[in-house]
Amino acid sequence: MSAIQNLSDASSREAIVSIARLNKSFGSFHVLKDVDLEVGRGEVLVVIGASGSGKSTLIRCVNGLEMYQSGRLTVDGFHMPTQADREIGGDRELAEIRRGLGMVFQQFNLFPHMSATDNVAIAPIRVRGRRPDEAKAIALRLLDRVGLREHAHKFPGQLSGGQQQRVAIARSLAMEPRIMLFDEPTSALDPEMVGEVLDVMRELAREGMTMMIVTHEMGFAREVADRVVYIDQGRILEIGTPAEIFDRPSQERTRTFLSRVLRH
Amino acid sequence: MSTAALRWARRNLFAKPFDVALSLIVIPVLAWVLYVFAVWVLAEARWEVIGGSLTVLMTGIYPAEQLWRAWVSVAALCAMFGAGLGLSLHPGRTALTVVALAGATVAAAAAAAVGAGAGTLAAGSAALGIAAWVGVHRSARARRLALPGLLVGVAAIFAVLSPPGFELWGGLLLSVVLTITVSILTVPFGILLALGRQSRIASLRVICTAYIETMRSVPLILVVYWIWIIVPLLAPDTSIPSLLRGMAGYALFFAAYVAEYVRSGLQAVPKGQVEAARSLGMSSWTVNVDIVLPQALRVVVPSLVGQILDIFNGATLVFIIGLTDFLRAGQMILADPQNSGRTYEIYVFLFAVYFAIGGAITFASRRLEAHLARGSR
Repeated sequence: MSAIQNLSDASSREAIVSIARLNKSFGSFHVLKDVDLEVGRGEVLVVIGASGSGKSTLIRCVNGLEMYQSGRLTVDGFHMPTQADREIGGDRELAEIRRGLGMVFQQFNLFPHMSATDNVAIAPIRVRGRRPDEAKAIALRLLDRVGLREHAHKFPGQLSGGQQQRVAIARSLAMEPRIMLFDEPTSALDPEMVGEVLDVMRELAREGMTMMIVTHEMGFAREVADRVVYIDQGRILEIGTPAEIFDRPSQERTRTFLSRVLRH
Repeated sequence: MSTAALRWARRNLFAKPFDVALSLIVIPVLAWVLYVFAVWVLAEARWEVIGGSLTVLMTGIYPAEQLWRAWVSVAALCAMFGAGLGLSLHPGRTALTVVALAGATVAAAAAAAVGAGAGTLAAGSAALGIAAWVGVHRSARARRLALPGLLVGVAAIFAVLSPPGFELWGGLLLSVVLTITVSILTVPFGILLALGRQSRIASLRVICTAYIETMRSVPLILVVYWIWIIVPLLAPDTSIPSLLRGMAGYALFFAAYVAEYVRSGLQAVPKGQVEAARSLGMSSWTVNVDIVLPQALRVVVPSLVGQILDIFNGATLVFIIGLTDFLRAGQMILADPQNSGRTYEIYVFLFAVYFAIGGAITFASRRLEAHLARGSR
């Protein structure tokens, strides 16, 4: 049973993200309904689901880009303020949480007025108070790690989509995050560039980085995920190992979704 | 006439029956007007009046023995203008020739009208401006210093010009110094207003919005007049010179427009930029200063330069608080019975100078727009 599997998985690792009965609405539209989820330290968790199912909203709640109305969300020991908390403050906890979280966006969101190096170096300088030369050295090392050492001086507009996304990953890594969140990192890419980004992510997973990934790349999910979560209409319908979800899903809806995305 | 010119004329002037009719009416009328004007300019007008009153036109009633202060300001203004050019315009051979010729023309005119000393000083100022242009364009270090240099330049002009007294400033120099000072003051104030207008703090938002909308719905002249009469009421024991009160009025008025330009720039920055910056743990301040404003201002700079033109043209209104700007100086010369028949000469000269400066500002704004569009990648 997947429920038992889920329980044993959560208990075998120390949870770094823990979500309990989380509810989130945009106005009258109830996006996330009583979501319960734990991400263990060092785990790679892949979230799948149809578009509009709430999977991006869930990952955006984890670093506070979206506010949730009720439930409990803790990240690395810090309590994420709810919408009510944030109306009267909560900025300090939020900043504290974000310092330990890296986020990679579908649209890269690199800063267009800065070179690749400066994109990576700016947060260590401004948030961690590093010296500029020190931060640039870190930036160059990280750009080297994602295979972009020779593009370090270029501006985002001069880089391909795949290269931009790798710079964005380096930018997040510069803050030495304990968890990396990926919100459909390859969905805006031309097909021939998907591989280079997935390679970098695969490498991160191998090094033991805790990752929460929203993606439509099912082959990649099956390969790197420790657990796969299937979200349907704002509810977690199924959690399990890739083999459980992809080969013998217990829910009819999961089967329908998978047959649709795996057909081509 | 070459075939190319014929083809151009055919396509642009005589393409359709309506074009033909319009061209047949407009072109002869225009040619006749130009002919009459040229005859007047070259044969009938008595330009000595301009030469004789050039000092008044340029500096108003500024004391003659203190004119060296005005010259220092002119040199500083040329250097600042040159540095500004260096940021956006490549000093190629054509551009350098055009600017050098313009400088030489002005210097020659000054030499002919006032004397060799004035000519030399004007030529020297022009040369300083060109040197600043090339220097700033060549060196990245100088480019970084351009903005602080601008502020230091304005402060220096104030320091040099102020000892004889603010009430003595006048002429074109007053118009230009007022324009530059107000332009600089409005930018930080406008940015703060724009940020305040979209602040999370409701009271700040309301105050900024109310301020901007109030200023935008009243005329400039009223704001300037209000500031002028209200300062003595608020601070009866101090006497703040009219010039400074006037500048405050202009700055308070135009800051509201800057705020609206900046707001449009802020809205042009994609939401993802703020999200990316926030997700890296940056504070609101850092997000604004390092990420949002550099991108927003890049969009806004051409409008801001265009607004300098509005301020320069609006500066003609300072006469209502008793200041003698360029236009007013021209009228002062006409008030002298000796010059009573020289109305057209004076007004043509005023028109030509306003047109030249306005045209230069418009050109700079266009250049900057093209430059930034290329740089935004």
